[in-house]
Amino acid sequence: MLNVSNLHVHYGAIHALKGVSFNLEEGEIVALIGSNGAGKSTLLKTISGLLEATEGEVSYQDEIISGQPAQDIVSKGVIHIPEGRKIFPKMTVVENLEMGAFLLRDRRLVAERMEAMFERFPVLRDRKKQLGGTLSGGEQQMLTMARGLMTNPKLMLLDEPSMGLAPVLVEKVFDIIEEINEQGTSILLVEQNAQMALSIADRAYVLETGRITLSGDALDLMENPLVIEAYLGG
Amino acid sequence: MKPPNLFRKSAEKGLVYSLVMIFMMMIGFHVVAANLMSKVFGVTVLRGSIPEVRFMAFVHILFAFLFGWGASDRQRDKKSRIRQGLITSLTAGGIIALFSVLLNYLVEAQIDIRQYLTAFSADSMRYFILNQGQSGIFVLFAIYLFTGLLGTILAIIFQSEKAQTSRQSLKAKIGEAAQTFSDKMPTLVKKHWKYGIYAILVVVLLIMPMRWGSYYNFVASVVGVYVIAGIGLNIMVGLSGQLMLGYAAFFAMGAYSVALLNAPTPHGIMLGFWPSLLVGVVAAMIGAVLLGLPIMRLRGDYLAIVTLGFGEIIRILLKSDLLIDFTGGPRGIHAIQGPTLFGRSFTSDSDYVYLILVFIAISIFIYQRLANSRTGRAWLAIKEDPIAAQATGINLRGYKLLALIIGAAFAGLVGGIAAARNAFTGPNDHSLMVSINVLSLLIVGGMNSIPGIVLGAFALRGLPEILREVETYRQLAFGILLIVMMLVRPKGLWPGSRPVLEKVDEEVVEEISTEIKKPKRKRTHA
Repeated sequence: MLNVSNLHVHYGAIHALKGVSFNLEEGEIVALIGSNGAGKSTLLKTISGLLEATEGEVSYQDEIISGQPAQDIVSKGVIHIPEGRKIFPKMTVVENLEMGAFLLRDRRLVAERMEAMFERFPVLRDRKKQLGGTLSGGEQQMLTMARGLMTNPKLMLLDEPSMGLAPVLVEKVFDIIEEINEQGTSILLVEQNAQMALSIADRAYVLETGRITLSGDALDLMENPLVIEAYLGG
Repeated sequence: MKPPNLFRKSAEKGLVYSLVMIFMMMIGFHVVAANLMSKVFGVTVLRGSIPEVRFMAFVHILFAFLFGWGASDRQRDKKSRIRQGLITSLTAGGIIALFSVLLNYLVEAQIDIRQYLTAFSADSMRYFILNQGQSGIFVLFAIYLFTGLLGTILAIIFQSEKAQTSRQSLKAKIGEAAQTFSDKMPTLVKKHWKYGIYAILVVVLLIMPMRWGSYYNFVASVVGVYVIAGIGLNIMVGLSGQLMLGYAAFFAMGAYSVALLNAPTPHGIMLGFWPSLLVGVVAAMIGAVLLGLPIMRLRGDYLAIVTLGFGEIIRILLKSDLLIDFTGGPRGIHAIQGPTLFGRSFTSDSDYVYLILVFIAISIFIYQRLANSRTGRAWLAIKEDPIAAQATGINLRGYKLLALIIGAAFAGLVGGIAAARNAFTGPNDHSLMVSINVLSLLIVGGMNSIPGIVLGAFALRGLPEILREVETYRQLAFGILLIVMMLVRPKGLWPGSRPVLEKVDEEVVEEISTEIKKPKRKRTHA
C-alpha cells in the first residue's frame, strides 16, 4: 500500500534521512521506533507532503506521491496526525472536526461522520462547544485523531500519540488506535514509547540517525536483545 | 488594627493619579479636551487657544472626583475606605499644589518654557492655577481634598449593597420592559431590526456629505480611504494571520497606475479614470503574487521584516533618479484626472465621499462573504496552526497567496481613488508611516470587525485631522493612547467576534444522531 524507497531528506546542510526504505501493506499497523532526532517525524512529514525529499520516492497504492502537495495527498486518503496535539486552539471541538472534513463538500456526510466521531469519542461530545485549547491533553489527542478520521482515511500516519499523556490515557489512546485499525485503516505509527508501539504493531522498523537499522515482526523485535537494551529499558 | 500597607498604598495611588494628571497637562491634554468640547458641543471654553478658567476648574474638579472615586478598595469597610480616600486625596492635592507652586514661580519670574513644552504658555500656566496666583494653590488643594473625599463617599454609597440591589432591580425592570416591548413587536421587526439601523445609517451617510462643509468631506474621505485599506489589510493580517508591514507598496501600485495612465505628465496617456483604476487593482494583485511567492515560507517576525523591506524598496524606487522620467521621481505626479460618471466629472469633495462610500459598501460585502466562507475557515485554520491546517488538506500556499492578492486589490483600489482625489501622488504618500497607520487602525479598532475598523480609521485619521490645531503633541498623545488601549482593551475598541464556523445545521445533526441511535439502522462506519 505504501512504499518508501531510498528516501533522503535534508534540512539545509543537515542530512536527516539517509536513504530510508520500507513498506506497509494494507490493514497493517507498522511501528517506527527510534530515539530523539532519529528522523521519525521527518519521515512522516515527508510522506504526507509537508516536507520535500531530496532523493528517493514515496508511492502509495502504486502511485508516486512524493513531490505532490500535501492537500492532494490528504485527498487520496493519507492523513497525518502531527505530533504535539496540533488542534486549532481557538476553534470549538465541532469546528475542529469540521476543519478535518475540509475537503468534503457534502454537509450531510460531514454531519454523519461527526456523529460517528462523537460515538467513538464520547468525551468530545461532552465538550462539543468548548474551545480546543481548553481541553485536557488526552482530550486534545482524541480530538486530533477524530479530526484526522473525519476524511475517512485509508492510511493514518500517527506521530507520537502518547507524547505527554498519563499512562492510563496512553493505554486508552492505543486501544483506540487498534480499534481504528480493525475498522480498516492502515496505520503507520511513530513512537518513542517502544513498549506500547510494539505491543499493538504487526511489524516494526527501528530508525537510527536517519537509517533503518532493524526490521521485523513486532513480536520478534520485542525479544531482540538490541531493541531491549536500547528502547525497552534493558 | 488597620492593615499596615493601607497608608502606603493609598499614598502611592495619590502619587500616581496626580502625576498622570500633571503629565496630561504637560502634553496639552486640557487644550485638546477644550477644543473638542468647543467643537462638539458648540460651547466656547477657549480664550484664544487656551482653555478658560471655568473650564480648568471643571477639569480639576472632575479629576479630583475621579481620584477620590478610585481611591478606596471595594472590599474594605467604610471606615478604612474613607481613610484611603483621605490619604489619596491629600497626596494628590499636595503634589498638585507643589506643581502649582512651581508654575506660580515660573509665571512670576516670567520664564518662558514653551520652547520645551509648547502647551505651557504663561497664560495656560496661570489658568492651571485658576488665574488666582498664590491663593489658587490653596484653592486647588482644597478642591482635590474635598472633591476627592466626596468622590470616595459617593463611591461607597454607590457601591453599597443597598445601591447594588436597587440597581439590579432597576436593570431587571428595564430588561422586562424591553422584553415586553420587543414581544409586542411584529416578528418582521424583531428579526430584522438590525437592518433598520443599517438603513438609517445609510440614509444619514447619504445626506451628510451634502450638509457638512468641504472640510468635513475631506476628513470623511480620508477616513473612508483608510476604512477600505483597513478591510484589505485585515484580510491579510486578521483573517490569514500574515503580518504585512509593506502595505503602502500596494497603495503605490494603484496610485501610480492611475497617475501614469491618467495625468497629462509625464506620459499623457489619458486612459480615463476607470480603466486606470482597474489597471491599478490588477497591478497591486500582480505585485502581491510577486511578493507572495518568495515569502510563502516565512512567518511572524520574519515575514514582517521582509514585507517592510518590500514597502521601502517600492517607495525608494519611486523616489530614485533611476525612474525619474518614468514616474516623476521625488516630485511625484500632478494633475491626475478624476473620474467621470454618466458624463459628470467628479469635482467636489462630496462626490468623492459618495464614491468612497460606494466602495466601502462593496468592500464590506466582499469581506463578509469571504470571512464566512470556506476560504475564511481555511484562513482561520492557517492562522491558528499552519501545520495542522496543512495536515487537514488545506492548500497552505494557495490560501496564503489568495489572502495577499485580495488584500492587495483593496489597497490598489484606494490608492487609485486617493490619487485621483488629491490630483497628486508622490513617493511620500506611500511611506512606511502609511503601512503602520493602517496596521495601527486594526489594532486600535479591533481585528476582524467592520465597526472596529471604522472606529479605528476614525481614531487614527479622523481625530488628528479634526484636532489639527493642537497637533503639537499628537504623536506623543497617540503613543500614550495606544499603550493605554493595549492595557485596557487589548483586543481593540470593538473587536470582532470570531466568525461562526459551524456550518452544520443543528437540525441535520439531531436527525442523524437519532437515526444512528435507532437499532434498526445498521451502523456502518463512515
